[in-house]
Amino acid sequence: MSMNALRVVWRITRLNFRAQLEYRAEFLMMIAIGAVWQVSVIVFATVLLTRFSGMGGWDSSDVLLIPATRMMAHGLFVLLLGRVHGLGRHIQEGKIDAYLLRPLPVHRQVQLDSFPTNAIGDLAVAAGLLAGALGRSHLDWTAGRVTYLIAAILGGMLLEAALFTAVASASLRFPAADYWGNWLEELLGTFGSYPLNVLPKAVGGLLTYGLPLAFVAYFPAAVLTGHGTGAPYWLAAGSPLVGVLAYLGARLLWRWSLRHYTGVNG
Amino acid sequence: MTRSGARPVAHHIEVRGLSRTFRTTVRRPGFGGALRSLVNPERVAKHAVSGITFDVAPGELLALLGPNGAGKSTTIKMLTGILTPTSGVARVAGVVPYEDRQRNARNIGAVFGQRTQLWWDLPVRESFSILRDIYEVPRAEHATRLKEFDDLLELSSFWDTRVRHLSLGQRVRCDLAAALLHDPQVVFLDEPTIGMDVVVKEQVREFLRHQVEERGRTVLLTTHDMTEVERLAERVVLINHGRLVLDGTLDEIRRTFGSTWQVRVTPADPHTEVAPLPGIALLRREGPQAVFGPEGPGAPTVHQALKQIVERYELTDLAIDEADLEDVMRAAYVQAGPGADEV
Amino acid sequence: MAVLHAWRAARVTPLGELHSPPRVTAALLRLTVQVVLVASLWRGLYAATGTTGGLGRDQTVTYAVLAVLASRLRELDQYTGRDTVMQHMHYGTIVYWYLRPLPPQRYYALRSLGERLYGLAWALAGYAVCLPAGVVEPPGSAAVAGVFALSLLLGQWVLHYVMLVIDQLCFWTLRNGAALLILVFAQNLLSGVYAPLWFFPHWFVTMSGFLPFQATLSVPLSLYVGRIPLSEAGVQLAVQAAWVVALALFTRLLWRRAARRVISQGG
Repeated sequence: MSMNALRVVWRITRLNFRAQLEYRAEFLMMIAIGAVWQVSVIVFATVLLTRFSGMGGWDSSDVLLIPATRMMAHGLFVLLLGRVHGLGRHIQEGKIDAYLLRPLPVHRQVQLDSFPTNAIGDLAVAAGLLAGALGRSHLDWTAGRVTYLIAAILGGMLLEAALFTAVASASLRFPAADYWGNWLEELLGTFGSYPLNVLPKAVGGLLTYGLPLAFVAYFPAAVLTGHGTGAPYWLAAGSPLVGVLAYLGARLLWRWSLRHYTGVNG
Repeated sequence: MTRSGARPVAHHIEVRGLSRTFRTTVRRPGFGGALRSLVNPERVAKHAVSGITFDVAPGELLALLGPNGAGKSTTIKMLTGILTPTSGVARVAGVVPYEDRQRNARNIGAVFGQRTQLWWDLPVRESFSILRDIYEVPRAEHATRLKEFDDLLELSSFWDTRVRHLSLGQRVRCDLAAALLHDPQVVFLDEPTIGMDVVVKEQVREFLRHQVEERGRTVLLTTHDMTEVERLAERVVLINHGRLVLDGTLDEIRRTFGSTWQVRVTPADPHTEVAPLPGIALLRREGPQAVFGPEGPGAPTVHQALKQIVERYELTDLAIDEADLEDVMRAAYVQAGPGADEV
Repeated sequence: MAVLHAWRAARVTPLGELHSPPRVTAALLRLTVQVVLVASLWRGLYAATGTTGGLGRDQTVTYAVLAVLASRLRELDQYTGRDTVMQHMHYGTIVYWYLRPLPPQRYYALRSLGERLYGLAWALAGYAVCLPAGVVEPPGSAAVAGVFALSLLLGQWVLHYVMLVIDQLCFWTLRNGAALLILVFAQNLLSGVYAPLWFFPHWFVTMSGFLPFQATLSVPLSLYVGRIPLSEAGVQLAVQAAWVVALALFTRLLWRRAARRVISQGG
């Protein structure tokens, strides 16, 4: 992106944020609901960890790193790249056709569609959880570990973005693909926060090699805390890289799908 | 027949001094302004419709015209019972629509432009069945009416398709049928043919003419398509800024707002000095041609003018341009002042 | 005639689903995968723990799988039908709801009833597979089964009103897609879809006692697995019934205010 492109992105984002302020009731409600959401998520994430301490051979101070990483990655995804989720509905309304007429990349216009007010809440919760996890952790947080954690969070964000971009690519052709996007979100939310080795091997394998959910938070946390995962060490350690590669692949898929886009409803 | 709850009335639509004022929030400019509006919104009143009065007789088709934001949609919403007026009274088939919405609903049918009332995920025919049962139309009657609509609108080739897969023209035809399935006496159409191709437009007009002339329905139509007005409406009501500007025939509008004719002539001798005649102005010269138009309140009709011109000058060519309705309407809208925002 | 329009409105959702076989296949696949995942997750978690929160392994697995089956409805893609309040507000088609002789609230209730019956058919089919497969345990006694059925009915009734309130919010805030997702998540969490409420801290359980959510699912499922004994069933059923009455009155008020809002703004 050139300087000028960055300026455009910044200005549109400011406008989008102002647009959020325009809907007074909604903006205020989003803040109120954000509080409900924060409490819910923290309770949910800690509940199982305290009930089932020692799950999969992880003690509770270690296991907290998994939901913290996953939520941080998710919050960043919603803030920076989240508009690919639920794109099918916009596609049905013909928005892509309008985007194609403008001299900006379609993917960027998709991201600039609106300002994700809810990401603020997501990130606040995630930051709190991460701080809690780091505070309880018995690990020695060397520069190397911190760097790896940051890389893992970014990789997790990219991996989630890759999955939703793939769904969005599909919804360029099949409007029903949104349905799979919703399921994907639920799977990531409910299964992204545990050590997957509590699951039977086949199921864990499915969530590693089928739907690459393990790479978002479980593998990086296992590498940081020195737990075995059943997958080769180099693969688990390479999680951030998997995120980058998956995202690049997804963008290629998006570009290919866009070239084959034929419009909606003739 | 299921024309429930309606007694015979002289007018199917009666509008008396109808007004509607909206309160809206003004947005302050700038980032700080947006934040301030969040805390302390500033509200102003906007008069969308002020003191409109008109009638529509049974079996009449009336076109409600006006520029964008003139108050047409607001008027229709009050007549369909979706919106309560700030003051004034409306009666549709003897019912005050916003006071007795459900009874009014049985007497009216409505299509709002491209907004469909059909069920998106179901074949069109299912939507028709749902509406049949909601409006409690007997099965035999429903079948007969559907057949009639199919003959006029050619619905059967696509009525087993799901609505999401219909083209715009197909969908609006289905929406028209859906709005008339319960045999309403009064029909409101808010820009029904917007975005349609000429063939479908003509088909829809034919259908509407049939509904008015053969079925005796009362139709209130808004449109920006002047061809449609010319083909369908005997009478028009023109509103602007929420006020009624004119209620009359198309000819009256032409007389009020437009030069109704132009005569373009080519004199045999190009050096002839062409001059105005009594009640006839020389509008302009275009090379060898001269264009005449009416002047003043005592202007002659186009036939009288032709006679005068032919008697006065020797001509090689002569043509009559009637000013088209779009020009007349443009003049009418501009004279009535610039439009407010669409409400 | 009234029966006819009720039938028509109720079958809109099932009919829409049956007209698109890929959606039915997708729902089947999703339900299967979800049951397998949930069952293996809880079995895995219990591998190192005995009874916790008053629930044993098989009780929890039964609870969790039944929760997935019961919330099958939640996974319906409501938006494809473009018949949600939010979409009608967005497309401006809400006016048609107010242009028909059928009151919007009755139409909504009939649609909801149809969706719930369709969901029940799925849940029963899933149950018929899971029970012989040993994934879920049978109810403790005929009395438990009967109380469970009654409690489930009341719970679905409460759920209908909860979803209705969320939908009714759309009359006031136009673009609340994200807010809706969060509310739906909160509803799922607080009703015990994701994890039985018994595992939550004491203050959380106390708090949710004041909210209607646990009446939707947690109560009937706890009755089924025996976490709530039959002796306490009467109290729980009464609480559920009270919620039905309270929410019925509240949503009626909201409908009236929504109509007033539509009528003052013009939809």
